[in-house]
Amino acid sequence: MDLAFTPEEQQFREDIRTWVRANLPTDISHKVHNALRLSRDDLQRWGKILGKKGWLGHAWPTAFGGPGWSSIQKHLFEEECALAGAPRVLPFGPVMVAPVIMAFGTPEQQRRFLPGIASGDVWWSQGYSEPGAGSDLASVKTKAERQGNKYIVNGQKAWTTLGQYGEWIFCLVRTSNEGKPQTGISFLLIDMKSPGVTVRPVVLLDGEPEVNEVFFDNVEVPVENLIGEENKGWTYAKHLLSHERTNIADVNRTKRELERLKRVAKAEGVYNDVRFRDEIAKLEVDVVALEMLVLRVLAAEKSGKNSLDIAGLLKIRGSEIQQRYSELMMLAAGPYALPLIQEAMEAGWQGDYPGAATWCAPLASSYFNLRKTTIYGGSNEVQRTIVAQTVLG
Amino acid sequence: MDFDFTDDQEQLRDAVRKWVDKGYSFERRRTTVKAGGFSRDAFREIAELGLCGLYIPEQYDGMGMGPVEGMVVMEELGRGIVLEPLNQSLIAGGVLSGYAPQAAKSAWLPKIASGEALVVLAYQERVARYRLDICEAKAAQAPVGHMLTATKSIVPAGDQADAFMVPALLDGQLALFLVERTASGVSTQAYGTQEGSRAAEVTLQNAPATLITLDGLTALEHAVDIGIAAACAEAVGVMDKTLAITAEYMNTRKQFGVAIASFQALRHRAADMKMQLELARSMSFYAALKLNAPAPERRAAMARAKYQLGNSMRFVGQQAVQLHGGIGVTDEYIVSHYFKKLTQLEMTFGDSLHHLGEVSARMQDTAGVFA
Repeated sequence: MDLAFTPEEQQFREDIRTWVRANLPTDISHKVHNALRLSRDDLQRWGKILGKKGWLGHAWPTAFGGPGWSSIQKHLFEEECALAGAPRVLPFGPVMVAPVIMAFGTPEQQRRFLPGIASGDVWWSQGYSEPGAGSDLASVKTKAERQGNKYIVNGQKAWTTLGQYGEWIFCLVRTSNEGKPQTGISFLLIDMKSPGVTVRPVVLLDGEPEVNEVFFDNVEVPVENLIGEENKGWTYAKHLLSHERTNIADVNRTKRELERLKRVAKAEGVYNDVRFRDEIAKLEVDVVALEMLVLRVLAAEKSGKNSLDIAGLLKIRGSEIQQRYSELMMLAAGPYALPLIQEAMEAGWQGDYPGAATWCAPLASSYFNLRKTTIYGGSNEVQRTIVAQTVLG
Repeated sequence: MDFDFTDDQEQLRDAVRKWVDKGYSFERRRTTVKAGGFSRDAFREIAELGLCGLYIPEQYDGMGMGPVEGMVVMEELGRGIVLEPLNQSLIAGGVLSGYAPQAAKSAWLPKIASGEALVVLAYQERVARYRLDICEAKAAQAPVGHMLTATKSIVPAGDQADAFMVPALLDGQLALFLVERTASGVSTQAYGTQEGSRAAEVTLQNAPATLITLDGLTALEHAVDIGIAAACAEAVGVMDKTLAITAEYMNTRKQFGVAIASFQALRHRAADMKMQLELARSMSFYAALKLNAPAPERRAAMARAKYQLGNSMRFVGQQAVQLHGGIGVTDEYIVSHYFKKLTQLEMTFGDSLHHLGEVSARMQDTAGVFA
């Protein structure tokens, strides 16, 4: 047992740190460190910088052009990016659909889709949830009917994150109503420029159109865009979800945000208020415990000696902690979190914020926005049901 | 970064588990509780496994092992809610090895390692609660060595121990001493504790004492930190078993014609218990792996660990009783004893509120395991 990283791992961390500092645009990291709005261009610019280096698919196997890093190296890379103020890499392409294409796609599909994902040139969206299929994902109804060498797709996807920018979307569609709901689902890649695709942004409680409804009205999709076999999509979807293990705990970003919470609390004069400070102290322990939990999972993956049944816990705890730090940051600002001045959340705004506390502008919005974390990715109640299975059978 | 145990560590775990399973039945424990809460025979059996000398160098007949082995052993003893205080031998072994003068090491360490001597930390005073820097006990120079006058509370197995490690003020500075129980001026008044183990008030009236170190606070903090790491590991063992007992009960107990494990409200509670157990286990690893760090880093880590463990213990213990229903609040059934053990462990070496204060006071601008 050893808590320390190996000298090689520490050197790896140093190398990553140096590279990230040299290549992460400061206008982007400034926005991230202050929770200011990131544009589509910001997100894509950083994605393409990583892509050019070959690190956008940093978890990919070498056979597909990935760097072949260990679980610990991946973690260190993500941590260095997060601490430097890099925006989160949007997972839909490199983390979600790419592993499915690698595992179940044809060589032709791999040649066609993977390069655009690796470079960050193509914006992918996720078409899983529907109005009637949230936590109960297997009840998707969006229908794909085979007609000759194409599918005709009709239906609606929901909660499609940043789908307004999407160029391609991977979808779970229903190709059969026979048997259990899981057995009639197929995995389809759809060009969002196809006639019949309509994207309608949905404004969330923080005022931002972060998600979308995507409508399919007699959309023609060539059969060569089907991944694997018809009606086997559920298996592929589960494979995808298994790639979201430690990622979803987001402990690296949480460490950065806890440091920001301390800065905000100091600026707002509550850091030395015993009642407030103790709440930060509790969170401090929560974050250490979460990080230890993550490190245990990573170390187990690296050694391959013990498999742990604790990955399900990571999503629950990670999301609860994300909500808590955003809540405490808002509470630290007190009444100065309340003014809703949209422009104050843009970088470079020179206007007058009440009390000259401009840094308080995005705090409430962040709090409201992060309520999503215990809902998405399988609600925390669904996660508890899964964890209970490991305890009670 | 490695959280696997070595083969030797796994063998050590197996040996202790075997003794707990075969040698330390719940009936034996119950008999010991009725007889006062401490069995010298059981303590001797623990010593025969070599465990009392875990932190004692081999030159003094110990095993010369480290915090990870200590953690492995304490987890297994926790599983059996063992009454006999091995953590005290770990503390005494670690502190005397690290701070005592040569003569005291030679006189005591081999006897501690063999189990012939039980040496316990007698530090608790009425005025101090969980603080280590507050002390009313007084030490004075004697013609030979020192003399101590003190009242120390809730000393583990106080009337059974062979010697005490006692912090006392010498010329206004906290120093640490060794006092033999049979020395003149030593009296003990024993009682049972909530979990069933034995403790005592120890009163010293000009009792002859051997100086361990003049830097008493440093040694006492180290002693308590060894105790915290051991208590964290012990608690993980207790919680692990508590959850297993609860899960088994939930799958057996039927109400409304079905096993109560089929009810979602109860399943989610079990998931929450698993969460607390794994957070606790993670922080117990953290405590063990930080026990040999420099003092400020070590102290901060123990406070973080004990805060998490305390909260986890309270949750797991309370929910285990709740999920059992009526049988959970009986003395007859095993789970209430696990609950009481967890309650007592939370309140040993500082409860959660105390350690929250420690974490809060030591907070830095950075965050995370490596900060």
